[in-house]
Amino acid sequence: MTTALADTEEFRILLEDELGLDIRAEDLDRPLDDFPEWDSVLLLRLVTVVESLVGRRIPVVDLLETRTFRQMYEVVVGR
Amino acid sequence: MNETENRSRDALGTWHDPQALATLRALHRSGALAVQYARVQALLARMPATDLPAAGQLLARLDPKEVCRHADVPVVTVAVTGHSTVAPLVAPLTAELARHGLLLEAKVAPYGSYLQDLMRPAAVGEDQPQLTLCLLDAHTVFDDVTVPWRVEDVEAAARARLSLLAGAVRTHQEAERGLLVLNTVPLHRRYTQQLIDLRSRARLGAVWREFNRGLLALAEQHPGVVTVDLDPLVAEGVPACDPRTAQYARARLSDALLAAYAREAAHVVRARLGRTRKCLVLDLDGTLWGGVLGENGPGGVELGSGLRGEAFQEFQRVLGQLGAQGVLLAVSSKNDTDAVQEALRTHPAMVLRAEDFVRVNANWKAKHDNLRDIADRLGLGLDSFVFVDDSLFECGLVAEQLPEVAVVRVDEEPALHPAALLADGWFDLFELTEADLERAGRYRTEALRQEFREDIGSYQDYLEGLGLEVVLRPPDDAEIGRVSQLTLRTNQFHLATERLQIPQVSARMERPGQYVLAVRARDRFGDHGLVGALFLRRDAEILRIDNFVLSCRVFSRGIESACVSAVLEFARDTGARAVTGRYQPTPRNTAFASFYAEHGFAVTGTDPDDPDTVVFRHALGDIAPAPAHLRLQAAFGPFDGVPV
Repeated sequence: MTTALADTEEFRILLEDELGLDIRAEDLDRPLDDFPEWDSVLLLRLVTVVESLVGRRIPVVDLLETRTFRQMYEVVVGR
Repeated sequence: MNETENRSRDALGTWHDPQALATLRALHRSGALAVQYARVQALLARMPATDLPAAGQLLARLDPKEVCRHADVPVVTVAVTGHSTVAPLVAPLTAELARHGLLLEAKVAPYGSYLQDLMRPAAVGEDQPQLTLCLLDAHTVFDDVTVPWRVEDVEAAARARLSLLAGAVRTHQEAERGLLVLNTVPLHRRYTQQLIDLRSRARLGAVWREFNRGLLALAEQHPGVVTVDLDPLVAEGVPACDPRTAQYARARLSDALLAAYAREAAHVVRARLGRTRKCLVLDLDGTLWGGVLGENGPGGVELGSGLRGEAFQEFQRVLGQLGAQGVLLAVSSKNDTDAVQEALRTHPAMVLRAEDFVRVNANWKAKHDNLRDIADRLGLGLDSFVFVDDSLFECGLVAEQLPEVAVVRVDEEPALHPAALLADGWFDLFELTEADLERAGRYRTEALRQEFREDIGSYQDYLEGLGLEVVLRPPDDAEIGRVSQLTLRTNQFHLATERLQIPQVSARMERPGQYVLAVRARDRFGDHGLVGALFLRRDAEILRIDNFVLSCRVFSRGIESACVSAVLEFARDTGARAVTGRYQPTPRNTAFASFYAEHGFAVTGTDPDDPDTVVFRHALGDIAPAPAHLRLQAAFGPFDGVPV
């Protein structure tokens, strides 16, 4: 990955490559409860992966409190 | 290609393939990972260790049942429990087991349920996991400590916790619930630095080590317990804890430490499945010494003197240490054999000498052919081999031609050779036995036997000249470890492949009507030691041979036939009507599928619980005598001669 998460599509690919999650573009706004594969262990892994990718610390608590993948993306890119 | 060309080509590349993860991801994206699972092991073999957890994330998503439809891969069931959140272990453990061609089926326990998990009885009809990993961390002690605390409080908490844990482990082991893996617990700076007086801080260190000492002692008390020491892993520079995941998700061992632990745990699984590797085949130039023997001559290689020469010598000491514990050392080198023999014999700084190697193959043939030759001569499968070379070309070729061989590539820095070799516990086993310490000597005696055989006209003349003596009797206490080890490590002559830990062997010996018999053999060249075991069970008027295992070192000498004759005679003399035997097929024991049929048994059907297992029966009418070229003494133990 050359750029650090330029858009939600790159975030979607990251979820697929790093966590093995098959998330489609239209899934980004669905509640996380709709994804039985999703769990907090994957979220921890996501923290590790994203921090090594973007090279800065991301707020774990904010990430834990997100309800959709899009909100997660926004925390990750610092919006 | 000559050595110099090999070397310049090698300098350009690395052994680890940075593209391996991308290839795995492409398979995952295309949805073909399960279908193409057969490719996974080769991809992981050359994947940088830092990429393995990411690979594990993808592999852990696969449904084991789906994978098994497409690939012939053994499934390992592992229960994962512990004091804190343990699920993050699953991905790295999946990857480490996949490196060994094993498919993980993990049962992850809920948060903090370890004591209950260890102590509860197995539910009826529940499949027992092949092993249980119980992950411990600093909170195992500090959960019971409240602020403000002094060292005495930690000491009391550690003592109480250890005692609880010891009780739980005892219950687990007495219920025969299988192999249990514990770990020592790293002490974090966030605790030591909360004590501001240096005397107390030092004492906390001592108290903590006492707790870990207790955890390590559990492995001494229970043969079915392994304690993985995390200290050496942390000493390699692996962070023990990530404060945020510890705080917010109660995952109290860092991802990196779980990955390192998973590597150790996978080797415990290998040992549990009888997949401990046995033979280490070494290159010479650039591996055991510096420089090129063919150019510098036997006296001119870099060894012993000079900075690099000392580093090579140090690596030889590591190899000597492994060899002294029963790892068979061999050489495969592209060199003239005379020059190699002269270097092994005369170079003053060689730590390893010709007699430390069970085979020295120095020639100009391909290394994979040499590895096959060494395997044939030792009677071992290539899946018990580890190959070490500094040449990328040779490592690549062996990996491609013989994927079952574990390849360790050492590079141009000899000070890193020991770490490269020891990065994986290829030779890990549960317990060293007398047989391990004498193994290399026995294989060398075997070479003398082969020479004797080559001098003699016929195989029968050879057998008659051997003066073979076989003793069949219950193992004494010191031999039970070796009996267990035979069941754990033997793959070829292992008719009902049943892996038994030491306590399970002891339990069989104590049950009335059950017999465990050790087979010992010696001949004019030396003592083979304890080479086999029979597991018998009396069931009314039937004597059942539950399992029969024999080391591949002593095949084809009539020992197996003599043992069967002795069992049949014993059965008849003690009033049995018949003897039954079982053959349970595995990929490695097919050569002995008709062993019972060849010894006068008739097929009666298959085992209702396991339709692959064939059951044989001998009606004791006509018992073939033991082969005449050997002498057999048999004693069946306390139940000898008692009629039914």
